[in-house]
Amino acid sequence: MASKRIQKELQDLQKDPPTSCSAGPAGDDLFHWQATIMGPSDSPYAGGVFFVNIMFPPDYPFKPPKVTFQTKVYHPNVNSQGSICLDILKDQWSPALTISKVLLSICSLLTDPNPDDPLVPEIAHIYKTDRRRYEETAREWTRKWAMG
Amino acid sequence: MSDDDDSFRSGSGMDEEDDDFMDEDDDEDYGFAGAEEVPKVPYKVLSKEDLDAARRRALREVMSVLEVPEDVAVRVLRKYKWDVSRVQEEWFAKYDQVRESLGVIDEEPTPSGRDQEHCLICFESYPLCEMRAAACKHFFCKECWRGYISNALASGMACLDLRCPSTECKRKACVPSSLVMELASPEEQAKYAAYMIRSYVEDNASMAWCTGKNCENAIECLIDRGPNEPMDVICTCSTTFCFNCKEEAHRPVSCETVKKWIQKNSAESENMNWILANTKPCPKCSRPIEKNQGCMHMTCSQCRFEFCWLCQGDWKEHGERTGGFYACNRFETAKKKGEYDDEARRRDNAKASLERYMHFFERFDAHSKAREKARVDAGKVSKDWLEQLADITKTPTSQLKFINEAWNQIVECRRQLKWTYAYGYYAFDNADRDNDVARQKFFFEFLQGDAERSLERLHEAAEKDLGMHVTRARNQAEPFDVEAFQTFRKNLIGLTDVTAGFFNKLVKQLEKGFGNMEADYAGQVDEDPGPSTSADVVDVSKAGPSTGPAAAAKGRRTKKARGGEEDMEQVRVL
Repeated sequence: MASKRIQKELQDLQKDPPTSCSAGPAGDDLFHWQATIMGPSDSPYAGGVFFVNIMFPPDYPFKPPKVTFQTKVYHPNVNSQGSICLDILKDQWSPALTISKVLLSICSLLTDPNPDDPLVPEIAHIYKTDRRRYEETAREWTRKWAMG
Repeated sequence: MSDDDDSFRSGSGMDEEDDDFMDEDDDEDYGFAGAEEVPKVPYKVLSKEDLDAARRRALREVMSVLEVPEDVAVRVLRKYKWDVSRVQEEWFAKYDQVRESLGVIDEEPTPSGRDQEHCLICFESYPLCEMRAAACKHFFCKECWRGYISNALASGMACLDLRCPSTECKRKACVPSSLVMELASPEEQAKYAAYMIRSYVEDNASMAWCTGKNCENAIECLIDRGPNEPMDVICTCSTTFCFNCKEEAHRPVSCETVKKWIQKNSAESENMNWILANTKPCPKCSRPIEKNQGCMHMTCSQCRFEFCWLCQGDWKEHGERTGGFYACNRFETAKKKGEYDDEARRRDNAKASLERYMHFFERFDAHSKAREKARVDAGKVSKDWLEQLADITKTPTSQLKFINEAWNQIVECRRQLKWTYAYGYYAFDNADRDNDVARQKFFFEFLQGDAERSLERLHEAAEKDLGMHVTRARNQAEPFDVEAFQTFRKNLIGLTDVTAGFFNKLVKQLEKGFGNMEADYAGQVDEDPGPSTSADVVDVSKAGPSTGPAAAAKGRRTKKARGGEEDMEQVRVL
C-alpha cells in the first residue's frame, strides 16, 4: 500500500509540479525523499533555496511523513535541528494529505509564522516584539545558508 | 478473607450492643468493623458484567431521551464524561452546537450519475459499491478505510471519536461505529469494544478502575465528592486504595500530603537504604535482630532483653503497670545550645532535618511493614487456625469471629497509623517557633500515642496470646483450658473495641484539623495546657485530675475507654 501510494504521488509531482517546490527520492530508497522549497517572495526568505528531508513511515499514508529542514532556517516554528512544528505533520495529519500539500503548507508557514505555538520561543518573542529585527536576521540567515 | 471484607465495608458484622462503645457523636463510617450499624457505603464495586450493564443502561437512557442512535449516544456521553443528566441538559440547550462539535451531521445524498469514484487516499478508482463513506459522503475504498481504522485503533482511545479522513470534510463528520465494525479484524473489533468499556470508566468522573493486580473490577462513587477529596475504597479483591489519587488508602491524611510524602520518600530512598537496614542491634547485647513479628514489642532471642523496636528503649518503660511513659511517637528536635561556627551549625541543621525526616519515615515504614505482616497473618489465622481452634474448643467458627475482627482492626489501624506519620511530618513543621502549632502538635501526639499504644496491646494479644492458645490446643496431651481461652476472648474483644475508639478519635481530629482545637474544647477546661502535664497526660488508664485542653480531652476519652473496658465484660460474653 505505502509504496504504491508513494509511486503515485511521485508520478503526480512529475506530471504537475508545484510552482515553488520540487521533490523526489534521494537515492534508491523510495521511502526517503529530498525536496526543495523556494523562499516565498513576500517573505524574508525570498531568494533562498531550502532543502527538506522527507522520511515515509512504513504505514504511510495512515501515519504522517517525517519532514525536516536540512538548511538552517531562522523561524519561530523551526528549530536548530530542522524540526518543523506544523499541525498537519502531527495530530492533524490525514491520509488524504499528500507531500505536495505538505510542502505548500510549509511554504505558507514561511510567509506566516505561528508565534503563538512556537518551537523556538526566543525567535517567537522577537517576531512579536521587534518584527524588523526578526526580518533582518531571517534575511541574513537566508543569505548565509540558503543561497549559492 | 472475603467474609471479613464485608464487615470492613459496612460494619454489619457487629452486634447491636456494641453501640455502647461508640462515641455519642459518632455518625460516620470509618471503614472498619465496629464503626456503625447502618451500612452507609458511598461507593459500589462493579464487576465486568455490572459495568457492561451500567454502561448499557446509560446508553439506553440517552438514546431514548435524545432519540439518537447508539453511536451518537456514545459520543455525546463521552463528551460529557458519562454524566447522563448533563448530557440531556446540554443537548437540548445547545442542540446544534453539540451536534456540530461531535461531527454528527445529516446524511448527504449519494452522488448520482457516477458509478465510479476516486479514492482520495490511494488515488485509484473503484465502483461505488466497493467504497464506503460517512454521512458526509466522502468516499474511500474499503482497503484505505481499513488502514485508516486500524491505525486509529492502534493509537488509543481517541479512535472512539474517529472522523472522516477527507481534508475536504469541513464539518469533520464522525465515522459510524458500524463502519468500524464492518471493516475491522476480529481482534480489532474486540479492541474497539474494550475501548468502549474503558471509556465508561476512564472518561467518567464517578468511576475508577480497581488498582489491584489482575483485578478487572471498577469502583463507582455514589456521592458528590468535592474536587480532590480523598475517599478510601475497598474492592472485592480486597485491594484498598484512594478513589481520588489512586494511591493506597490513606484516610485521614489528604491526597496532597500523601503525594508530597511519596515524592519525599523516593527522593530520600537512597539515603534511607543504608540508614534503615533490615536489622537493628539489640540495645543490650548488640546482636543483630530481625523483626519477625508485627508488634513493636521485641524480645532478643539471645539475652532475652525486651525492648521497643522503634525507640530501642526498655519495654518496661512502655507498659502502664510501671506508670511508665511511652514516648515512641514523640520526636524531640535535639536542641543544642552553645558556641557554634556557621559551618557546624549548617551541618547540624542538615543533620537535624535528616534526623527529623528519619524519625517520621522510620515509623511510617515500620507500621507499613507491620501492616503487611498483619495482613499475611490475618489471612493465615482465618484460613488455617480458626477451623482447628473451632474443632478443638468445640465452638462454632461463627463464635470465633472476634479473632477475625481483631485482625481486621489491626490491619486497618496500622494503615491509618502509618499515614499519621506523614501527616505529622508536614503539619507541625514549625512547632519550634509557633506556640499554637506546638500545642496542636502536642495534642496530636497525645492522640496518636493513645492510638498507637492501644494498637500495640491489641496486636500483641492477637499475635502472641492467640499463638499460645493455638499451640496449647494443638498439644492434645493436656486438656484445653477453656477458662483461659474465655479470658483471652474477653480481653481481645475489649482491646479491639477500645482501639477502634482511639482511632476514631484520631481520624476525626485529623480530618477536622487542629485549627479550632481551642474552640472545640473551650468551656471544658481552664487555659493552661502547659507541657508540665505531659507526664501524667499520656497514661490513660491512670488518669488523675489534670488540666489543659489535652487533659480535658483525655478525661472525656478516658471515661469512654474505661467505660468500654467495663462494658465489654458484660456485652461480649457468650
